[in-house]
Amino acid sequence: MNVPVHIKSIPSNKKHLSDQMYITSLVALVAIGLFLIASLFVPNFFQFQNMLNLVTNNWAVISLGVGVSFLLVSGNFDLSVGGIVALSGVLSVWLAQSIGSPNALASGLGLPYWLALLGAFVGALAIGGLNALFVVKFRIPSIIVTLGTMMVARGIAQVITQGSQRNTNLPEEFGVLGNLKVFGTSMQFPVLFMALLLLLAILIERKMVFGRLTYWIGANPVASKLSGIDNAKHITCLYLFSAGIAGVVGILLSSEYQSGFSNRGLLMEFDALVIALLGGIAIAGGFGSVIGMFFGAIILAVVTSAATGLTLSPDWQYILKALAVFLAIVAQTWALARRNK
Amino acid sequence: MKTVKNMSKSTTPEIASSAVSGQIISFLRNYYIYFVLLAIVVLLSLTNLDRYELFERGNFLYEKNIINILRASAPILMLAGAFTLLMVSGYIDLSVGSTMGLSAVIYALLAINGMPFLPAFAITALCGALLGAFNGLLVVKFKITPVIATLITLSLFKGIALLLVMDGVSAVKSMGNLKMPSWFNDFGREGVLLGLPMAFWVAVVVTAFLVVLQNRSLLGKYAAATGGNPTAAKLSGINTSKVVFVLYAIVGVCAALAGMARASFMSLGDPLSGDGMELTAILVVLIGGTAFSGGEGKVLRSFIGALIIMTITMGMLTLVPAYYQTLVIGAVLLAAAASNHLISRKEHGS
Repeated sequence: MNVPVHIKSIPSNKKHLSDQMYITSLVALVAIGLFLIASLFVPNFFQFQNMLNLVTNNWAVISLGVGVSFLLVSGNFDLSVGGIVALSGVLSVWLAQSIGSPNALASGLGLPYWLALLGAFVGALAIGGLNALFVVKFRIPSIIVTLGTMMVARGIAQVITQGSQRNTNLPEEFGVLGNLKVFGTSMQFPVLFMALLLLLAILIERKMVFGRLTYWIGANPVASKLSGIDNAKHITCLYLFSAGIAGVVGILLSSEYQSGFSNRGLLMEFDALVIALLGGIAIAGGFGSVIGMFFGAIILAVVTSAATGLTLSPDWQYILKALAVFLAIVAQTWALARRNK
Repeated sequence: MKTVKNMSKSTTPEIASSAVSGQIISFLRNYYIYFVLLAIVVLLSLTNLDRYELFERGNFLYEKNIINILRASAPILMLAGAFTLLMVSGYIDLSVGSTMGLSAVIYALLAINGMPFLPAFAITALCGALLGAFNGLLVVKFKITPVIATLITLSLFKGIALLLVMDGVSAVKSMGNLKMPSWFNDFGREGVLLGLPMAFWVAVVVTAFLVVLQNRSLLGKYAAATGGNPTAAKLSGINTSKVVFVLYAIVGVCAALAGMARASFMSLGDPLSGDGMELTAILVVLIGGTAFSGGEGKVLRSFIGALIIMTITMGMLTLVPAYYQTLVIGAVLLAAAASNHLISRKEHGS
């Protein structure tokens, strides 16, 4: 792969913002600008509830984006998250379904609910471990490894559900977690999960050694290794982290719909990658932030929901998505080049 | 003095043995893929022998079964060679599936509006070249990383294809006054030689052309140089941008051919008919032993890789339910990546 190196920060006293903050604020401004433009054209767009919906409807992709962003910053891809979402969801259903129905799809392993959730989570971590094994130990390009594990994870889900879904014979409490309202408000538990995850991610990224090391590894893996950082261990942790998030997302989604569906999370890995790139995370690694990824998600959400609001045919979504990513990438490259001239 | 003698004594056989093992490894690297294909065919033809005679209906080697597999393989066989050249030069095209879908729609629209086979075929192939060139433009002129650039066009081409299809239907097909012409199926279905359709033979010709291109032309050498060491290639006067641009256009043409083959096979212009093709192409090229980082890879080996994948996926259908497919393909991809890695590590002696 030829990866253009376009980030060269030159320290200077005149600049108060780092390149990173500069790009992040640029992305945030674009997101807000797009929202205002959309408000001009789309009826009922400029409403508080709509702003809220833009975030809450995308909790799953934003959550996945956290793990994917950290890995991208470290210079690695994770395309397996969509497959893991399907796998952990299907596993949680299959393990919790009671035994003994004559219908193969209605009969599970009959484990207690908490054990089923644990099993699903461990299954997700196993895929993350597989990612780490192939990337770190065998040094195979992460894009290939995670494409393979994406198929393996989804493939296992398809085998368990026989290419369809499992949604019967579930214990009473199964649907609670995904539909839980937090403290009597209308906010659902999965949204709270996303919010806490974002806060945690920002804390790790800005204030903790682990987060800063991730940037070092992404910026220059050789130098980081020579300065005594255990790259292998670090990247393993990141893959487990990302897979763990995807596992929880899968469990929450299957609880919300009370079914384990082998096609759930289809193409979510690409959406997570796209919002991270929109948010200014460099594909070469070493640059970007979780906050940027969040605003990248908002950009994508505004574009797609404005298209729906304008009653354009849903086919336009693909073209608008392409345009948004193209403009964002070109604008970021241009802005950085201009700033560091 | 004595130690030197000892050393030379002890090292000579080692060098000799490493030369032999090096030969074995390079032999394996060059030819293992043919053995893999052979082994899979033998294995599949030996299954269910208790119920079906060899070469008879129900057996893997039944003539119609082989024809069926080769016929369905035409699209990926058309695509594999060009995709290999692109990956050898260190670039990638994730938009091939969307290019296929868009080409299928364009081809079906031209046909249904009364254009004869040859002009429709030529125009669609030209459109494919333009789509590929657009990818090249994004990568070479706008300097967008190949993965992102072709993710953008994946979305863009798919959107255009979906918009081109008439309202109310999901694919271009006979409806109302518009009738799909009778020749539409022929390209992908009608046996012209050995019972195989024209699409398959076009795939063979394209592959032969690309093999010659890779081994006998400057473009082939430049592609390998660009992938092996882009800086060195540039410094030695190769116009790497031009090489990459041309390769993207070639991939576009091949994707358009693949799209037409599939449209003809399914007798409709389905905008989603190429979905997932980029994964299949990557898989096939990797199984053929092409290095993902560029610089190495052979067109012919990818052709065999494509046959292997199609044989596995279609041959498996008689043994296990279809929902095992994703798992098996994913596992094959990981195994291929791991074995590629192990072989190249042995080769470089580390």
